Order: sequence, then C-alpha cells, then structure tokens
Amino acid sequence: MPPVGAGLAAEAGTALRVMLVDDSPERAVMVEECLWAAGFEVVLVIPSAAGLLFQIEKSRPDVVLMELESPDRDVLESLAIVNHHNPTPVLMFTQEGDPDYIRQAVSAGISTYLMGGINPAQVRPVIDVAIAQFRVFQALRDELHSTRVQLEERKLIEQAKGLLMAHKNIGEDEAHRLLTKLAMDANQRLPVVAKTVLATLSHQGKRKD
Amino acid sequence: MIANKRLPPPEKAAITLGFMRLTDSAPLIIAKEHGHFARYGLDVTLVREVSWANLRDKLVVGDLDAAHLLSPLPMMASLGAGGVRASLLTGLSLSLNGNALALAGTLWRQLGLADGGYPDALAAARALKRYLGREPGRLVTLATVHAFSTHSVQLRMWLRAAGIDPDRDVRIIVLPPEQMCDSLAQGIIDGFCVGEPWSSLAVRQGIGVVVASGYDIWNNAPEKVLGVTEAWHHRHPATHLRLRLALMAACRELADPGLEAARILSAPAYLDLPVKVLLPSLTGEFTCASGQPPVALADFQVFHRYQAGFPWRSHARRLLAEGCAMLGKVLPEDLAAALVQRCYRPELYREAAGHLGIPCPGCDVKEDNRHDRPWLLEPGIELGADRILGERAD
Repeated sequence: MPPVGAGLAAEAGTALRVMLVDDSPERAVMVEECLWAAGFEVVLVIPSAAGLLFQIEKSRPDVVLMELESPDRDVLESLAIVNHHNPTPVLMFTQEGDPDYIRQAVSAGISTYLMGGINPAQVRPVIDVAIAQFRVFQALRDELHSTRVQLEERKLIEQAKGLLMAHKNIGEDEAHRLLTKLAMDANQRLPVVAKTVLATLSHQGKRKD
Repeated sequence: MIANKRLPPPEKAAITLGFMRLTDSAPLIIAKEHGHFARYGLDVTLVREVSWANLRDKLVVGDLDAAHLLSPLPMMASLGAGGVRASLLTGLSLSLNGNALALAGTLWRQLGLADGGYPDALAAARALKRYLGREPGRLVTLATVHAFSTHSVQLRMWLRAAGIDPDRDVRIIVLPPEQMCDSLAQGIIDGFCVGEPWSSLAVRQGIGVVVASGYDIWNNAPEKVLGVTEAWHHRHPATHLRLRLALMAACRELADPGLEAARILSAPAYLDLPVKVLLPSLTGEFTCASGQPPVALADFQVFHRYQAGFPWRSHARRLLAEGCAMLGKVLPEDLAAALVQRCYRPELYREAAGHLGIPCPGCDVKEDNRHDRPWLLEPGIELGADRILGERAD
C-alpha cells in the first residue's frame, strides 16, 4: 500500500508537513507515529502554550493538528483569518469525544477526527477534508477581494468620466467614448487610463486656481 | 408569576446552553440559579466551553441549543470566515461593554503617561504612536481573544484613533483569555484587550495597567448575544421566545449587580474564580493600576439599562464591516445588508418585549457617535451614550 499521505501531497511532490499541538505527551507520541505511518511529515510536536503562534510562523506547516477541547482552537482559527499570518488549515482530533458529536460535526463540515482506534488509513481523508474546506474559505476571500477591486476600479472610471465631462463640457456617453479611445490608443486597461486622466486633469485644475 | 400561560408551549423543554468563562455569562447563570428558566417552563443545562470555536461548532451541530456568543459571530459564522459556515442569528443582546485594554507595565512606563487618575484613552494611543515613531525596530504585539470580537474591534478603533495602522504598525494576535496574564508577564505580548475578569487580574498581579475601558473606546458597544442557528429557531420558536424572556428577566435582575451575583458566578462549575476578582466589572468599581484606588464606572458593563437587550442592526453592520476589514475585504452593500437582516433580529426582541409589556425601540437602526450622555429615543426609551473614539462627529 502506498503511503496515504501521498494524496494531496502528491500535487507538490513532497509529503504534507504537519504540526501537532497536544498537551498530553503520551497521546502525542501515538498520534505522531500514526501520522508518520500515514505518510505525513511531522515537523513539530508542541504542547499548547503561549508561544504557539510563533512556532507556527517558524516551522510553516501545511496543516496543524490539535486536540478538540484545547483553548488554543481560537488561536489556530485566527491563523486562517488574520491577514499578516500565513493562512494554515487546522484539524481537530479527540480521544474521549462523544462519537455522535464527531459524526455530526464531520457531516456538518467541521473537520474533526476521532483518534480512538488509531488507523492511519483514516487520517488521510480527514486531512484532505480539512484542506479542501480551507481552500473553499480561501476562495471566498479571493472572491471578496476581486469584488472590492472591481468596485474601486468602477469608482475610478466614474470619477475620470466626471472630470472629462466638466473639462471638455461634454456628455457622459462622449466622455466614456473618449476614455475608451484613450485606453485603446495607449493599449492600457480602462482603470489605468482613468487614473492617468484623474492625475492629469486634477493637476491642471489646481494650476488654474 | 404564571404570566407565561398565554405563551405557546415550548417545542423542547430540556435544553443545553453553552457559555464561556467570562463575567458577561452572568445572565445565563443567574437565569438558571434564580429560577427564571424554570419559571418559563425550561429545564436548562449550562455547559462551560473552552473556545469560541467549540461553542460555535457545538451550536451548529446541535449539541447546544443556544449559546453566549461574541456579538460579531452570527455574521462572521454566516460568512464562513475562519471556520464552519453556518447561519446563526440572535434576537437578544446579553450585554453592553465590559472589556478593558491593558498594557504591560514595562511598555506603559516607556510611554511616559501620567500616573494616577483615570486614564485618557486617546492620550495613551497617541503616546503609543509616538513611541512607535521613536522605536522603528520595535514590534509591539497586542492580543485579543478572538479575531471576530468586540475586543478586536475596540483595539483597532483605539489604534486608529491615534493614526496607528492596526494591520501594519503593530501585530495583533489571538490568545485564550486564560493565557493573557501569563503571556503579558513573560513579555510575549505587550498588551491585550479582553473581557473581565482578566484585566483586573493583570492589575492585581501588578503586571498590567489599564489604559482604556471598552466603554471609553466605543460607548455601549454590543458585547455578547444569545446565539442560535436559523434552523433551530425555525423548529423551536416558542422555546426560543421563552429563553429570551427568561434571560431578559435575569438581565433586569442584573441592572445593578453586586456581591450576590459575584458569589454565584464564582462557583467551580461557572467561573471558578475568587469573588474579589469578579466584583470590579460587575459593580464598576474598577482599578486601573496596581496600588491605585478604584474609580466608579457606572457603565463599565451593562446588562439591562439603555435597551441593552435590543439587537441593533446598525451595530451588526458596524461589526460586520470591521470583521471584513480584518479579512482585508469589503462586502458589497446589498450582501452586507442581507446578511445583517438575517443575523440580527430586532423583531424577535420586540416579540418578547410585547409579552412583558415593556417599551422597546420601533426602529432597527440608530446612528452612533451622536450622544455624549444617555438620551431619550422615544418617551420611556432611554439609550446610552454612543461616542466612538477617534471617529469624527458629524
């Protein structure tokens, strides 16, 4: 049987790098063995501690695995949110967890893994789900980002049209045609030309004063 | 009091509520201990959780029926930001204010702020701005307990008020509340904005100095809400109504909380902390620096007055905008409006207020940053001050 961790990691040609956060050393040893057996590279094993964030920044894991009932869960989630951190998917595991809860959680899309009878074959699908879920969220971020850029660009174009209308005493349609022609002549995107027009015309406006 | 005879019977009488180890979980605990849930025919089990992520996930899965939630979470969970995407809503705000911003004693001394007296929030932020200018190589790290919390919002407002860019000029990280004092003492962080009792604890230990209360930054900001999933609300409208009514009764009882509330909260199953640590935020007798006499801050934490229970959609809009700013994003206007409409449900508050025969706002939004002191929205409806630090008053 090939190492199961090779699934997503095969894309990059290397094993996925996992960081394990667990305050129980005995359990950590077991979980770590299981991860190696599943074909993952365990880059760091640490107990939950205040220095957690800094450790993550230093070792840059592909995925973080942590105990479900750890207060550090909010810290780890913030990694996927806050801008200046490297977004990192986080996966929870539990030893004593209520199996029903785990089942429901997994079906609700919450990545959780029941670490009862350790079976390396079960680790991979769960880590795959965590990473897939994480990518969906990243896609949402990108989507929001492109929406914002579009809005900003539209605003630029409107402003440039307004200035052209005032300066040349022309209507909106004509201002739009003029802007499009400028863009085509310069072989530039409309928002770029709009920016140039804004800079030039508002500068002229100031000189007149 | 059997006023609840007119109420529809609960779809589910035995329910489980989740809470975090903070003094503002008081409405849930008091409603349980003083029999308000029982009076509304509910048999409630309270479960203490260790992370907001767990609280949210258990709510989504149905392990919890309802929970004490950070006020921005219904919107942010509905967006799927950071964790599972789930439609959460609130029909009752549980508290206003209650946070404090503390800096490590070492940093505080370097800022050269006046010793003694009540701190000037803006002066402290400006002193930090000057300090960052003097020490360009110094990375100041500040912590909050969750990215999408009023703590983060207030910390960012405070920084921006002095022209500090919260995303570039300092580093903001998330730590569990229990780790705040330890991290401050070890120099891992330079300050934090957190709910009580953790700032009071830092002051008592002599490792931190409070430079602003949450109230100083955003007067009467919505702090915690009663959160449920949209699906749960649709299946249990009568249970939800009873739950809100019981919690409103507890909040009324907490209008002027004191020793008794602190004693109840201090129990091992609840906050498991000494009464003297819990008292400052409940009574508003707050000490900002070790060795200083306490100052009386009547609105440090508000459970009842100023229509504290009313879930303002304008608050939700601001919280959503701040949450998106943390993601570095802007939501299109129509999407933001629709999201707030689904997540913050003032009509559910009005339904409960109607049963109690108490007046409540007829509008869903209000303009903030207009009032320096309590004011009358309508006869009989008093709202609190609503200033926001550093925001231009129109």
